[in-house]
Amino acid sequence: MAAWARRLWARLRGLFGGGRSDAERAREIASHLALLEEEFRAKGLSEEEAHRQARLKLGNATVIREEVRQMSGVPFMENLWRDVAYALRQIRKSPAFAATAIVTLALGVGVNTAVFSVVNGLLLSSLHIRQESRVVTVGFKQKGTSWISNFSFAEFRDLRDQTKDVFSDVFAEQYGLDGLSVQGSQPERVFTGYVSGNYFEALGVRPLLGRFFLPSEGKTPGADPVMVLSYAYWKRYFGGDPNVIGRHVSLDGHPMTIIGVAPRSYKGVVTLLAVQAYLPLAMVVPVENIPQDIWNKRANRNMYVYARLAPGASAQKADAALAVLAHRFASEHPKSEKDAELRGFPLYLARTGNLDARNSIAVVSAFFLGLTGLVLLLACVNVANLLMVRATVRQREMVIRSALGAQRSRLVRQMLTESILLALFGGVGGIGLGMLGSTMLRSVNLQTDLPLYFDFGFDWHVFLFSVGTALLAGALVGLLPAMRVARANLNVILREGSRTVVSGGGRFRDALVVVQVGSALVLLIVAGLFCRSLVKLEHVNLGFNPSHVLAMTTDPSEIGYNDAQSGDFYQSLLTRLRALPGVESATTSGSIPMGVIDNTSDSVTVSGYQLPPGQVAPQIPYTVISTGYFRTMQIPLIEGRSFRNSDDDKSPYVAIVSEAMAKKFWPHEDAIGRTFTAGRDAAHPLQVVGVARDARYQDIDGPIAPYFYLPYLQHYQQNSLESLELRTAGDPDAVIPEIEGAIHRMAPALPIFEVKTMHQALYTPNGLLLYQVVAVMTGIMGILGLALAVIGVYGVLSYVVSRRVGEIGVRMALGAQRADILRMVYRQGLWIVGIGLVLGLGASLAVGHLLRSMIAVSATDPLTYIAVSAILMAIALLACYVPARRAMRVDPMQALRVE
Amino acid sequence: MSSKEREPAQILQGTLDLIVMRTLETMGPQHAYQIATRLEQVSDQLLSLNQGTLYPALVRLEQYGWIAGAWGRTENNREAKFYELTRAGRKALAKETERWRTMAALVERFLAEEA
Repeated sequence: MAAWARRLWARLRGLFGGGRSDAERAREIASHLALLEEEFRAKGLSEEEAHRQARLKLGNATVIREEVRQMSGVPFMENLWRDVAYALRQIRKSPAFAATAIVTLALGVGVNTAVFSVVNGLLLSSLHIRQESRVVTVGFKQKGTSWISNFSFAEFRDLRDQTKDVFSDVFAEQYGLDGLSVQGSQPERVFTGYVSGNYFEALGVRPLLGRFFLPSEGKTPGADPVMVLSYAYWKRYFGGDPNVIGRHVSLDGHPMTIIGVAPRSYKGVVTLLAVQAYLPLAMVVPVENIPQDIWNKRANRNMYVYARLAPGASAQKADAALAVLAHRFASEHPKSEKDAELRGFPLYLARTGNLDARNSIAVVSAFFLGLTGLVLLLACVNVANLLMVRATVRQREMVIRSALGAQRSRLVRQMLTESILLALFGGVGGIGLGMLGSTMLRSVNLQTDLPLYFDFGFDWHVFLFSVGTALLAGALVGLLPAMRVARANLNVILREGSRTVVSGGGRFRDALVVVQVGSALVLLIVAGLFCRSLVKLEHVNLGFNPSHVLAMTTDPSEIGYNDAQSGDFYQSLLTRLRALPGVESATTSGSIPMGVIDNTSDSVTVSGYQLPPGQVAPQIPYTVISTGYFRTMQIPLIEGRSFRNSDDDKSPYVAIVSEAMAKKFWPHEDAIGRTFTAGRDAAHPLQVVGVARDARYQDIDGPIAPYFYLPYLQHYQQNSLESLELRTAGDPDAVIPEIEGAIHRMAPALPIFEVKTMHQALYTPNGLLLYQVVAVMTGIMGILGLALAVIGVYGVLSYVVSRRVGEIGVRMALGAQRADILRMVYRQGLWIVGIGLVLGLGASLAVGHLLRSMIAVSATDPLTYIAVSAILMAIALLACYVPARRAMRVDPMQALRVE
Repeated sequence: MSSKEREPAQILQGTLDLIVMRTLETMGPQHAYQIATRLEQVSDQLLSLNQGTLYPALVRLEQYGWIAGAWGRTENNREAKFYELTRAGRKALAKETERWRTMAALVERFLAEEA
């Protein structure tokens, strides 16, 4: 055993057997003293003198024992234990102070924890796959478009076959919504993932039960009717039945065999949507009725492509190989891949399905964490102020202990222990509050029946973050008062008593409160901007009238209908619905405004329209609608006509365009009668028969994008998933049972989902929901910030008044009026609040500038800035009033007597 | 006090350990009082220290496992704790002595050069 190890062992032994060795040491020293006394007595000294001389010769026995005790045992741990015990005693002695500090810190840590748990769930939590950092999501871009993560099957094949030197695996996933039926039961809608045969292998995920797909599966359409269940779905719908392997089910009427169950930990690559069943990639062709020519079309981009870097290949090398491939794409397929760019993106960007870094959730997350950091800062400043007051009160105690030989570093450590202990208590409370907050955030009604999956659970990331935040807060709040103790001039304090300690640090405390006021203003202005955005958007003219409209979605293919059957179904359903009392009009559409399902767009080519140089044909969103749509939605037609029942697949193909689209392509002429082609069916040019007033479909804010409408009867293929929209005379909710009854009389097993009024439907992640959530969250943070800042202002002024009672007494005795005293206190308060406001306004302008793409009002919206500043000012001055009044009521006689 | 030249020599950090070990080597098992007395004798009163300063050194050496203490009786039948070099202690002493000599010679050489 090395000497140091032996020594450590001896120390550790000393730590636990400390008492015994100390007693033994005392015995040894006593014997030593006895021997010394004997020596002096032998030299002829008196008993008394020998006793004295022996002690002189030995030195201070207590000091020796203390020194030796420090050596035996681990002093750090021993001291830590002593400090903790002492700090606990101190905390127990002043419960009000402790409670204030703990609650304040708990709020600060709680807000941070809640927001971090969301960020963690969205971006950081483990996907439970092998070597996550080696997997990229491949992005595709053409000139004039933003990065997308979708590819066609042909492109996926090329990517897979032509990047073998940089990627060990290239795999794909495409999503679908299908009806799963077990032994003829009513189909359940499932969110399906169609994956390439190497998908699970490449991710390094092992099946919980049965097997996953073979590399050969998923290549030929319809060849592999097998299915893998997600753990959650297996538990929920099959009761965790271990005999599920080999069971036959039907998916949209196609027979399938269950071959495996995915492990519990694996929840997909795109974490927001929880895939419930996996199928081989090419099975999407029969299940979703995709015609062969569309499946093979290069521009039909519906699948996400991921790739695992080959051993030794770097991301840069992979990007270089992708660039070469992009070049080849562009030259070999100029029609579909002109000016193509390819690049690998980190997997976390794929999680939320948005590769565009500027608007990505990562930026928003960072922004929110910044705001919560500000709240924590405010909380810390308050607690630091509290601790500083206490430190001043306890200064004499510290000085005396210091004079008695306590090292300053020990005193500093003791104070730090106390504040870190407070912070840890606060942290525990904060974790509790954070869990509550994240549960609240998770339960936000997303207004959709989709299996949206918010995993804001508490994993070790969140736990470490909270504990780290709490410790940081503890060190932050403890350091300031501790440093003051360390710097304090002992002699002055001992000599002059407690009175003169006032001045030191006053400036510094004022500065802290200035920071608080400024930070609170930033938080409030951010909240104000978001609230104003929400209010503005809630009253924005959508172009359609959402009141008295009921919407619901069905997909007859989920019960095995083919496209023609679905078309007939909708036609006769509409006839029946329109006949129902209380229903004024009824229609169907492929998607609903702000909806999250089936928002389609297509590349539009207009003969004679000159594209900007180098750009590809623009992608324009559209929807397929039935007759009566414009009447139901109350979108006025500016020109031309709406669709008729005669617009079917035997008549010329027609379209109705929005005002914005008409302006874009035919700015100076009449759009009626013009033709354009959509990429999905270039063989049938579309003739414009009407122009409709602009309506907002996907962007609730910003310029209204061009849009067009196609008649259902000409496009029923591949469009079995339709939303029904009904305009009702009375309360739309009241007719729901009747309408569901009508549907089920025609197709008893047909699942109906997303039943809601159009008002409710606006509160989706695409619509108002995010604004609403953000407005509420920033509002909570703003109010917290305001409260903390007000407490700060109040605290610092109260403290100042309490320390200046004597001075105020003298002033009053010398003839100062109460108003003078009031003015004196207010002057200081005004300075603090004023400087804080000015700094806060500057910071808010900077933050607002960062926010400008996320808000619907101007980043310098004067109303917000003025109103919020005024509110903060008024409340802060109100907070000054209480200490000011106390100052006015000082009784000069009493104050002077205390002096 | 005008006793600049009579000021006792300061003990160099770490040398006390060596001195204690050497004392134990030449004198056999000793208690703290004996060690301290011996130190004063050998140094001709030049090293006059508070005898208590010995204790940290004793504790340290004991922790290293270089000396071992055991209770015994003095000639006058008083109880005292006797310290003895261990085998590891003897080895360490040889090594430390060697190191001290090298160090002292080195410092001496520098001092000679200065003069």
